[in-house]
Amino acid sequence: MYLFSQNRYYIHHMSEENWIEVGSTNSIEEEDLIRFDHQDKTFCVYRLTDGFYATDGICTHEAVHLEDGLVMDDEIECPMHQGIFNIKSGEALSPPACEDLKTYPVKVDNDKIFIKID
Amino acid sequence: MKNNIIILGGGQAGIYAAREIRQNDTESNIKILGEENLLPYERPPLSKDFLLNKKNEDDLYFHSSDVLKNENIDFENISISKVDFENKKLFSKNEDIYTYDSLLISTGSDNKRLSLDNNLNDDVYYLRNLEEAKTIKEKVSDKNKITIIGGGFIGLEIASSLSQLEKKVTVIEIGNQLMGRIIPKQIADLVQKTHLENGNKIILNKQIDKITKKNGIYEILLSDNSLIQTDFIIAGIGSAPSVKLFENTNLKLDNGIITNQFCETSIKDVYAAGDVCNFYHPFYERNMRLESYQHAQNHGICAGKNIAGVKTEYNSIPWMWSDQFNLNLQLTGICDDYDEIIERGNDINNGVIYFFLKNKKIRGACGVGIMGKVGRDIRITSKLTEKNTIVDKQILSDQNQKLNKLIQK
Ligand SMILES: Cc1cc2nc3c(=O)[nH]c(=O)nc-3n(C[C@H](O)[C@H](O)[C@H](O)COP(=O)(O)OP(=O)(O)OC[C@H]3O[C@@H](n4cnc5c(N)ncnc54)[C@H](O)[C@@H]3O)c2cc1C
Ligand code: FES
Repeated sequence: MYLFSQNRYYIHHMSEENWIEVGSTNSIEEEDLIRFDHQDKTFCVYRLTDGFYATDGICTHEAVHLEDGLVMDDEIECPMHQGIFNIKSGEALSPPACEDLKTYPVKVDNDKIFIKID
Repeated sequence: MKNNIIILGGGQAGIYAAREIRQNDTESNIKILGEENLLPYERPPLSKDFLLNKKNEDDLYFHSSDVLKNENIDFENISISKVDFENKKLFSKNEDIYTYDSLLISTGSDNKRLSLDNNLNDDVYYLRNLEEAKTIKEKVSDKNKITIIGGGFIGLEIASSLSQLEKKVTVIEIGNQLMGRIIPKQIADLVQKTHLENGNKIILNKQIDKITKKNGIYEILLSDNSLIQTDFIIAGIGSAPSVKLFENTNLKLDNGIITNQFCETSIKDVYAAGDVCNFYHPFYERNMRLESYQHAQNHGICAGKNIAGVKTEYNSIPWMWSDQFNLNLQLTGICDDYDEIIERGNDINNGVIYFFLKNKKIRGACGVGIMGKVGRDIRITSKLTEKNTIVDKQILSDQNQKLNKLIQK
C-alpha cells in the first residue's frame, strides 16, 4: 500500500470504512484531475508528479466546479476568475480566491485510489 | 534610505502597490490617500453578487485594517484637489499638504455621464463604487421596470443581476451589437440570446433622443420615435481615466497617464498604475489602457517593485472576465490586430472561443460558456500567446483535443 498524504500518522489510525473508492490510478493523467461526486458532495482528485491528492471540488470564491480548472505543478487554477490554490495544502494563493480549499487524505491500494471523507 | 511614498487613489492597484513596496522596502513611509472612506475593495461584485445579495460589504475588502497596520501602511481618507509636481506636493481642498519623494497615481477611472438638457441628470444612476451600488440596490427594491442605457459589460451585468431579482429589464445600446466591437459579434450574440431567454429586452442601434418624467414614471424617446416607459434608469456608457487633477500640469496625458513599461510617467519620481494608465506594453509593442481586475493587481505590483528600486518590466498578457446569468465570458490578449480568426466549439454548454492570430501566432482570444467552461482554454491561450508559439490550427479548432498539447515544454 502506498500512502500519498503528508499526514501518514493520521491515515494509519483511521478505520477502513471511511475510505471511499474513487477509481483506478490510470483514470487520471499526470498533472491532471478528475471530478468525483459522493452523496451530495463534489471532490477533485489530482495526479501530481509525486502522487495523488484530493480537495473539495468547488471553488471557495464562487460556486464553480474546479474540475474545469488548470493544474500547474502543485496548483489548481479556477476556471472562472483565476483564483489559485495549492493542491497539497488547499491554501488560497491568488485573489479573488481568499478562503482556503479543504483537502482530504488519499491512498492507493492495488492501483485503486481512495479518499478519506469526514 | 527612508522615503516618503504616497499612493494617490486607494483602489486595487494602490493597495497591491503598497504591499509590494513594503515587501521590498521596510523603512520608507507608505501612505495611501483615498477619497472613498473605505479600505481598498473589489469592484467586480458590485454589479453582480453584491446586487444579488450574495455578498455583503465585508466580503469586498482586499485586506483588513490589521494587515495594513502590521505592514505599517497608512491609509488616509482624503480627496486630493491639487498637485504641484515641481515641489512634490499634493493638496486637499482644505489645503492639507502632503509631501512625497515618490508618488504613485492610481486614481482609476470615472464613469462617463449622459448630459440631458432638462433637470433629470440626477435621476440617472451610475455604478462605479460601493456607495453607488448601495444606492442602486436600495432604490430598485420597490421598482419593477428598469432601463439600462448602454450594453457594455457593466450595464449587462447589472441587467443580469436585476433580472435575477425579478425586475423587468430593458437594455438600450447605441451600437449594432452588445459589448462593443472588441468582442466578436458571434459571442455578443450568444450573450444577447441568454439575456433574451431570461426575459430581458435588448434594443440595439438606437439612440436616446429625450427623457421626460410624468407622475414618477420616465418616458424615454428613442431615435426611431419609439417610447419606453420605465421606473428607474441606470446608465453604463463607458468610462474615462480619472485624470482631471493633472490636466493643467506637465504630466503627459493621452487617453490616460502615459507610462513606460516600468510604470514611470513623464515626470521623475511619479509612477502610475491601473485603470488610469495608457501604458506601453513591450510584448505588443504599443500603448494600451485596460480596465480589468487582473491588470489593476499586476500593474500595481509592478509599480510597487519599481518604486522600491527593483526595476521590473510590465509584460503581463491582458485578461478579463464578465459574469452574466450562468455565463462566464473571458478575454485574453488583444483581439483587434490579426490576420486570421479560428473558432473552437459552437455550443455554449461546452464553451465557444474565437482566437485571433497574426503570422500563425495567437495575439488574443475571446470566449464564452456556461460558468467554468472556457477558463482553462483561455488560460492556456494566454501562455501560448506569451510564448509566441506557432500554433497548430487543427488542434485549436477541435474541442476534442486538449490545448495544453500546444504548450512546448
Ligand atoms: C461595477 C464594476 C464591475 C467590474 N467588474 C469587473 C470584472 O468582472 N472583471 C474584471 O476584470 N474587471 C472588472 N471591473 C474593473 C476593475 O474593478 C477595475 O479595473 C479596477 O478596480 C481598477 O483598479 P484601480 O486601482 O486602477 O482603480 P480603482 O479600483 O477604481 O481605484 C481608484 C481609487 O482612487 C480614488 N481616487 C480617485 N481620484 C482621487 C483623488 N483625487 N483623491 C483621492 N482618491 C482618489 C477613487 O475614489 C478610487 O477609490 C469592474 C469595475 C466596476 C466598476
Ligand atoms: S469562482 Fe473561483 S476564483 Fe472566482
